[in-house]
Amino acid sequence: MSKDSQMRAAINQKLIEMGERERLKELLRAKLVECGWKDQLKAHCKDVIKEKGLEHVTVEDLVTDVTPKGRALVPDSVKKELLQRIRAFLAQHATL
Amino acid sequence: FQVNHPGDFSLSPIKPKLNVLSVMSPAGCSHVNGYKVDNWKQNLRVIYQCFVWSGTAETRRRKAKSCICHMCGAHLNRLHSCLYCVFFGCFTKKHIHEHAKNKRHNLAIDLLYGGIYCFVCQDYIYDKDMEQIAKEEQRKAWKLQGTPLLFLRIGEKYTTWEPTKRELELLRHNPKRRKITTNCTIGLRGLINLGNTCFMNCIVQALTHTPLLRDFFLSDRHKCEMQSNSCLVCEMSQLFQEFYSGHRSPHIPFRLLHLVWTHARHLAGYEQQDAHEFLIAALDVLHRHCKGDDNGKKANNPNHCNCIIDQIFTGGLQSDVTCQVCHGVSTTIDPFWDISLDLPGSSTPFWPLSPGGDGSTVNGESHLSGSTTLTDCLRRFTRPEHLGSSAKIKCGGCHSYQESTKQLTMKKLPIVACFHLKRFEHSAKLRRKITTYVSFPLELDMTPFMASSKESRMNGQYQQTVDVLNNDNKYSLFAVVNHQGTLESGHYTSFIRQHKDQWFKCDDAIITKASIKDVLDSEG
Repeated sequence: MSKDSQMRAAINQKLIEMGERERLKELLRAKLVECGWKDQLKAHCKDVIKEKGLEHVTVEDLVTDVTPKGRALVPDSVKKELLQRIRAFLAQHATL
Repeated sequence: FQVNHPGDFSLSPIKPKLNVLSVMSPAGCSHVNGYKVDNWKQNLRVIYQCFVWSGTAETRRRKAKSCICHMCGAHLNRLHSCLYCVFFGCFTKKHIHEHAKNKRHNLAIDLLYGGIYCFVCQDYIYDKDMEQIAKEEQRKAWKLQGTPLLFLRIGEKYTTWEPTKRELELLRHNPKRRKITTNCTIGLRGLINLGNTCFMNCIVQALTHTPLLRDFFLSDRHKCEMQSNSCLVCEMSQLFQEFYSGHRSPHIPFRLLHLVWTHARHLAGYEQQDAHEFLIAALDVLHRHCKGDDNGKKANNPNHCNCIIDQIFTGGLQSDVTCQVCHGVSTTIDPFWDISLDLPGSSTPFWPLSPGGDGSTVNGESHLSGSTTLTDCLRRFTRPEHLGSSAKIKCGGCHSYQESTKQLTMKKLPIVACFHLKRFEHSAKLRRKITTYVSFPLELDMTPFMASSKESRMNGQYQQTVDVLNNDNKYSLFAVVNHQGTLESGHYTSFIRQHKDQWFKCDDAIITKASIKDVLDSEG
């Protein structure tokens, strides 16, 4: 594993251990609902389902179709806030 | 036809995916049968507890260490765990698929969301028993974590709506759907004036546009425990049904009026009443009726009530009385539903706001030619007040009567804050209406008025770093009640907000579109 992915893995471990990952997830969830992201993607999912047909669509279809759009639609302010939280957390628990 | 789910009006219920190969219940697949043997339930629970929703510090540590792909070591890429053996593999890179093929282990669990994947069906499946276990384990983990973010103030974590058989039946028999678009006016309805009842109509408009209250009633959350037909909460529920029915003709709230008269005698009669008094009386009756007739005790103790009214409207006001001699502080916290603010022009002096008051502008309000702002009123409300020699308090520290200062601050903020500008003066000398214009903002930050802020200031932390990202104390305006005229003869109207930024003026039966400027220019 590259140095980068090693660091990622280490950070991830720390986040999980301290329960911070769950808290961040909930914060992100709340922010994405607030800014309407969830509704946007939900509408998009419905379109995919209508297109592919209710009987034939799989979760994989949705994931493939929706993931790039979902990633692109996250507002910068939300990304900024999450990053800030993670940085603050690492600053507090920095033994990495 | 009662709409149960407030959010999604436009989609007919999605049937769980019907697997072409399945023979069993529509939600699952037959391939789980190989798994459902021996002690499978307990095994599955352990997997959820350890690797999906880890509630304890120990399980979290284990999860952090062991949840990596056995083939490539990555922790990302939609990691799945095999249900038949201890194997973790990436989904995206198909490592788990390889494992499934080689070992003929056809089931895996998504460690991010807890979904069960069947490699034969090549899709996620929803087995009723397994779903039940998943839900229970998720709830357990949340309880253990207990961080405030996980629970909405209402006390339950959001879960998606799962229609019951009866609900599915109702939906099938009533195929008409309403789509909520940005222009749609559902929820807006005029109210007929039944004889000087504009004071009631305004408050009703404000309440029916309180999002949390609306969601509570449209989701049928009220379980009535009253024997008679005089439950105000039931009537409120009916009112919401009327408002969201889509009917455009004004509603005649005669039943509501009758119930209010029955339960709040002091408001009965056809003369003009005070809208603020009505608000408090209405909240009080609703709060009492929420508990039913059995829990009379609980209803009297606001600190222990968990009804929807308390959850939304009740805040805590801290009163600190400081002895001027020994500087001992006696603190009490009282619940409140509203903040009544004195205005300049009343018989009690308004300015200066506090001994040596500061002139800073908070909340972006500008002092246009010296006009008073809501923030000014709040600063005055929370200022330290010398109680004077004629109002000495018995000090517990000095064991004698001493002069003291009293200060009010917010200990706990309600979800919906109601500010009442005391425009009607009923002193011994005169009865009049104070028409001083008070400007108010669209967004209000209550942080400077919190008890915690006061403590920071006292500890010398004057320059509080404004946590721009912390939204906990920030409020957004959604309703304004106005009174035109005099104390003797006047008329109430209100502005309410719909869809985040659309405002409407409610004048009894007449609803008209309003601009933000109209709202902010109004008296308040």
